[in-house]
Formats: sequence, structure tokens, C-alpha cells
Amino acid sequence: MSIIAIFINVLLFLLLAPLFEGVTRRITARVQSRQGPPLVQPYYDLFKLLGKERINSARNWAFKLAPPAAFASILAVVALIPFGGKVNALGGRVDAITIIYLLTLGGVSVLVGALASRNTFAAIGASREMVTMVMIEPVLAMTLILGAVRTHSLGLGTAVFGTAGLGYSVATAVMLAAYLAALQAFVAKQPFDIPEAEIEILEGPYIEYSGPDYGLFRYAMMMKQMFYAWLFVAVFLPFLRTGTYAGDILTQLLGTLAVFVLIAVVGSTNPRLRIDQAVKIYALLILVSLGAVGLAVAGI
Amino acid sequence: MDAIARIETELRSRLGPDLKGLASPAPGRLFVDIDRRAVRPAARAIIDLGGRYMVGVGWDEIARNGTLGLIHLFAFDAGRFAVVLRTAAPAVDPVFESITPDIPSAGWTEREYQDLLGLKFTGHPKPKKLILADDWPAGVYPLRKEVPYNLEPPSAEDAAYQLDEAPPGTTVVPVGPFHVSLHEPAHFAVYVDGETIKGCDYRGFMTHRGIEKLCQTQVSYNEVPFVAERICGICGSVHACCYSQAVEAAAGLKISRRAEYIRTIMLEIERLHSHLLWLGVAGHLIGFDTVFMQAWRVREKVMWLAERITGNRKTYGMIVVGGVRRDITPEMRTEIEGVLAALEKEVLVLKNSIIGDSAIHRRAKGVGYLSKDEAARWSLVGPVARARGLDIDVRRDHPYAAYDDLAFNVPVTDSGDVWGTLLVRVLEIFESIAILRQALAGMPEGRLLTEAPEALPPLRHGLSMVEAPRGEAVHYVITGEENRPERWRVRAPTYANLQAVPAMLLNNQFADFPIILGQIDPCFSCTDRVAVIDAGSGRRRVVGRTELEALSRGPEAGRS
Repeated sequence: MSIIAIFINVLLFLLLAPLFEGVTRRITARVQSRQGPPLVQPYYDLFKLLGKERINSARNWAFKLAPPAAFASILAVVALIPFGGKVNALGGRVDAITIIYLLTLGGVSVLVGALASRNTFAAIGASREMVTMVMIEPVLAMTLILGAVRTHSLGLGTAVFGTAGLGYSVATAVMLAAYLAALQAFVAKQPFDIPEAEIEILEGPYIEYSGPDYGLFRYAMMMKQMFYAWLFVAVFLPFLRTGTYAGDILTQLLGTLAVFVLIAVVGSTNPRLRIDQAVKIYALLILVSLGAVGLAVAGI
Repeated sequence: MDAIARIETELRSRLGPDLKGLASPAPGRLFVDIDRRAVRPAARAIIDLGGRYMVGVGWDEIARNGTLGLIHLFAFDAGRFAVVLRTAAPAVDPVFESITPDIPSAGWTEREYQDLLGLKFTGHPKPKKLILADDWPAGVYPLRKEVPYNLEPPSAEDAAYQLDEAPPGTTVVPVGPFHVSLHEPAHFAVYVDGETIKGCDYRGFMTHRGIEKLCQTQVSYNEVPFVAERICGICGSVHACCYSQAVEAAAGLKISRRAEYIRTIMLEIERLHSHLLWLGVAGHLIGFDTVFMQAWRVREKVMWLAERITGNRKTYGMIVVGGVRRDITPEMRTEIEGVLAALEKEVLVLKNSIIGDSAIHRRAKGVGYLSKDEAARWSLVGPVARARGLDIDVRRDHPYAAYDDLAFNVPVTDSGDVWGTLLVRVLEIFESIAILRQALAGMPEGRLLTEAPEALPPLRHGLSMVEAPRGEAVHYVITGEENRPERWRVRAPTYANLQAVPAMLLNNQFADFPIILGQIDPCFSCTDRVAVIDAGSGRRRVVGRTELEALSRGPEAGRS
């Protein structure tokens, strides 16, 4: 059963991530007095991109390898996570640090691809991506470590469910605020879509990518967004448990949908920040999340 | 007229025998003829007395007297007059002293005539090619009369523009020739140190089609307004009006008051449209597409209004030499006033939500700063100048059309940044609505068109300025034979403001590049003076307003 759960994880993420992207596009359109594209538009986009010719414009293997690596790393992450309140066969063998490493690997793949493309705009995008990664990853790490501190275990399931699973404390509330504030940066939406910044650096890291390679990057990005929305529900909303596996999955998906609504509304009502402005906010978030762990260690 | 008298005495004492003549044939215009030796001291003297450099006009008089003429135009905004400084050099030795070291905004004018007429300027700090293509053959000066308007020299393979040397420790980020934040071809080589901008070189004029030459050789006085209207997709009426006024000034033609009121109405509708369009673009440039979509939704009302009056959503075709082509009937007036009332409500919501948004403050305040003195040195015009504390507006300072009858404020801020520019533009929307209401209420009866005399006397000079939404547009017409201008010079506001963009960019973040450039509302086509004609495909499908709205906002919205 717990082996089937791995496939359920992967399938649900593969199938639903574009749908959630579609939801944000629709909500953004509503805020902007537009009708917006059909909900399934991201699927069309992906099908179109994946069906195109593959062009290695940078003519090196790193450029070619980066998109599958990014996609594979996020796929590995969703295969591991405890979905529907249940730790699956793989999840039982790894710990919270594995998740953090795998997510970082996805980010590094984007950097490698951007730098391998030798494009000026990609280089600027890569440097912004790097800053964002270094500054925002600690918030994610602290979220999991907080759970680990409270449950005295780095096991994936305990770390994820430990933060709020033992009931809300001051530390949990502080971490919740930090995670919410960092959410837009995790999913690279406004005001923190700085590495891509279409109008300044023309999608930055992705500028030289097209066709299936770009499609893989986009797909990986959608899955990553869904992962961060899911993580919020799993870590901070343990009361959504129904008791049955299918029911838990359903409530988690509904929670994820709600987080996406929030992401879309915040994203469509804010202009993009500059990287120097964002770094100040990131620094504050790191301090707050460190503080939350400190409180948890003190048992508050 | 005291100020004009002061200029006269000052110039007489400073220039002595180099001053050849002084005349003031029309109110608010002073024509000064000088020897070419005195061009730099004369320009210096005019600037010292408070003049603002507008632009230069070069023209070919070789066939008539063997000289190449050079005219510099200055405005005295407080004194409400303009000075036309005229000089000439023999075609065999067309050398002038450069005035750019004193007046940086004259830099492009001099480079332009170096390219187009073969003038030489000693002491120019950056005598690079400006207008001509990099592979244009040396020694062919397209604005000279002997060069046919349709000359197509063979293209060369290995010609390239030499960009300025990048400052040490910087890397070059190429913005353009095609970049999403430019919308038109132009190339900025931005020198960045990390994300901080340390300098910038501009190479534009990539789509220069020689509209001025075309109109000096191929079309007649009455046809030029329609070509002028196509210089810019946004400021069409501005250029048509400015050209028509220049011809009327040269010919001494007085048009009816009603036509002047209708011109004013068209210009203000154009300003409403342009400011809302800019607001949307500005939102897009800082990554705030909701502002973009909402501003353009409101803008749609203005386009509908324009269509009701002229039959066109843009490029109205209303203004010609001698007046206007269509009337505004009393029924239309009621309708327009209804639209204005609805518009005012929507813009007020837009204004409050933008001005109260702290996120926008973060992206706009302190960005693209230029001090008042620097702004004056670069001869900035329009909202960009007014945001930097320069209280200038052609509508008030050099009234034309019906503006002398209308009461309005000129919003000025001194923050000197993108935020100020945004604020000035938003406040101007309300002034435009007020002006439109007054103009509709106070419009006198009268004929629409006053016929110009059959043949205009040649070699009369006419200068006209119009406040375009982006700033002041300047047209200079020298009348010629064969029912067309001998020389027609267009200076769109971007020509003045764009020259100061490198100064505004300095030490800002690269992420702010789009909005710093965007704040001047750059119109490269105006600056390049292009005519773009879409031949259109054979088959067409017409999508109406209802269908378009239904597509974008759902069936309910489309039915309203």
C-alpha cells in the first residue's frame, strides 16, 4: 500500500499542478477585469511545448542536462513527501534534509542551465536566482527544523507534521507568519518574480530555452509551486485530517487550492520588487524564522 | 515686450557687428540674424538671459545663394516669447563652432546636421554618427536638395556602429534593438557593475524614413498634416496641429475661433488617451500588470469618445491647415459630457489606488532622479520636466488654439523622480477633463475651415509649439515654391527628453531601467520621424467592440 502511495503522490502532482496554475491565471484575470484563458490552458501550453523540436542553442551538455535535472529533482521531492497524512515507502527511508537538498538541486539546475547558455540576461537572472535561493531556502529549512525540534526527530513525516501537529505554540505561529510572507518568493510570483522579470531581463534564466526543454522547466516550476502550497497545508493545517487516506488527500488538495487563491491575489496586487529591496525582506524573514526555532528550542 | 527689448540690447552689446538683423514680425517671436562666427556667444547669451534651448534647424540654400543655413530655436517661458537665432555658412566651408559644450541638449541637433547636411561643428564632445545608417556612403548628405528623396544606396556588409568604451569594471547589457520594454527599435548599451548602472550609450534612428524630405519634395501643404499625423501613433493631432500652426504663422493666416476650440478638444482627448496609456505601460514596466489592465480598460472609453467625434479610435485626421474637418454638434456635446463624467469617476478610483499603494512608492520614489538644474541644462520638457520642478507648459506659456480662454492648473512637483512624473501625469488627467468641459461649454459659432491663399509667399519662417502629452512638440516651417514647404523641421518631445536618459540612469539599479526610460514615455518613431503604412492582407474579419469586450471580460460585460 505504501508503495502505491508513492505513485499516487507523483500522479496527483503531475496531473494537478497545471490546473492550479490555471486557477491563478483565472483569478489574476478577474482582478484585472479580464475573462482570462480556460482553466486547462497550462496543459495546452505544456503539450505544445513538449511537442516541439529540441534545440540546443548553447551547444553544450550542461545546457541540455539542466531541464531534465530540474524536473527530476522536483519529481523526487513529490515522490518522497507524506501525502494524505501518510508516510510512504520512500518517505520512511529519508529525512527532512533530503527534501531540502533535492529542492536546492532543482534551483541549482536552473542556475547551471542559465550559466551554460552564456546569455547576458540569463547571467543576470542566474545571479538573482542565486541570491533568492540563498536567502529564501533557510525559511524552508527552519520550517522543517522547527518540526524536528518539537518531535526530536529529523524523520520526514515527524518533521513535517511536527510543527503544528502537537498543537499551536508561539513558535508555530511565528513560523506560520514567516512562511506566508515567504510564500510568494517560494513560488516565484510577484512581488518576488525577480529572477525572471520578463520586462527587465526577458525571463532571465530561461531566455535561451524553448520547446520541450522550456516545457520541462515550466512543468517543474508548476510542481514546485504546488509543493510549496501543499507544504503549507501539511505543516500548518493539521486539523484538515479526516482519518481516511482519500479524505485526507481531498482536504489537502482543497487547502492547496485555497493557498493558490491567496498566491494569485497577492501576486496580482503587487508590483515586482528590485532584488536589493527583496534581499532586505528575505533577511528579515530569515531572522524571524530563526527566532521561531529559537522559541521552539526554549519550548515556547 | 520689455523682455524682448532686453534681449535686443544685450545681443547688440555682446555681438556688435556680428549681429546682422533683428525683427519681431509676430507677437511672441523674435528673429535674430547673426554671422556664423557669433553662433556660440549668441547662444550662450540667450541661455544666460533665461532662454531654454528647443532645437536646431538646418537647411540647404545652396541653389539660391551658396550657403547652408542653421537656425537655433529658444523659448523664454516666463517672458512668453521665442527667439529664432539664424545664421548660415558657405557650402564650400560649412563649419560652425559647436554650442553643445554650453548646451548639452544641442548635441543631437548638431550631430543630425552633420549627418544630413554635411555641416561641421568644431569642439563637439561626441561627434559620432546619429541618424544615418552605419553603411550610408560618406559624402552623401540626404537633406541637400541635389539628393533625390528616394535614393537607395547599396548596403554594405561590414559596417557597424562603434559603441562608447565601457567604464572599467563594468559589463555591457544590450537593451535592444528589440527588447520587450522598448516596443520599438532602439539600442541602449547599458554598462552595469553588478546590478548598478554606470553608464549608457544610445544608438537609435534605426527606422528613419525621412518624412521631412518626403514632404519637402513630394506632397503639398494641405497633404502634410496627414503625413504629420502618422509621425506618431499617439500624438497624431499634436503633430498635425503643430505643423498647421507653423504654416499659418508663416502665411499670416488667422483661423476661426470655433476651429481653434475644436483643435483644443482634440488635443485634450489625445492627452487623456496618452496619459491613460502611459499609466498602463508604466504599471507593466514595474511588473504590475493589474495597473496596466485597469488603466487600459478606462482608456477604452476615451477611444470610444474619439471614434464618436472623428470616426477613428486613433489617428483622427481632424486637423488641417486653416482649421478642422469635422464639427462637434450639440448632441455630441451631451454625449461627450456623459463620457467625461463616467471617466472622471473611474480615474479617481485609479488615482486613489495608485497613490495609496506603498508598493508602487517603493518602485518609484527616488528612482531616475535628476535635479532641477540638471533638468534645465538638458532642456527637459513635459511631465518629466514638471516632475523636476520646472514650471513650464506651452499651453499656458505660449498659448495657441483656445488655451488663452481656458482656466487650468499646471501640476508641478519637485521630487525629481519617477514618482513625480507619475503624479504629474495622473493630476493632468483631471485638468484635461476640466479643460474639455470648459471648451465644450464655451465653443463659439463659426466656420470650420479658413482657406489659405492659393500661393504662399516663399521663404517665410513659421515656428509653432504644441504641448503634447509627453511634452513640447516644435515644428518649424520655411515656405517654399511649388505649394510645399522648403524646409519642415519636426522636433517631438522625446528628442529632447531622451538625450537626458543616460543622466537619469546613472547609479540606478538595472531593474529600474525600464521605468526610468519609460517615464519619458519614449516615442522612438517620433524621434526617428517614421511613416509606417500597413498594406493589409486581402481578407479581413471585423471584430466589433461588443465581441472584443465579450472575449476579454465575459458575455455580460460585452452587452453593456
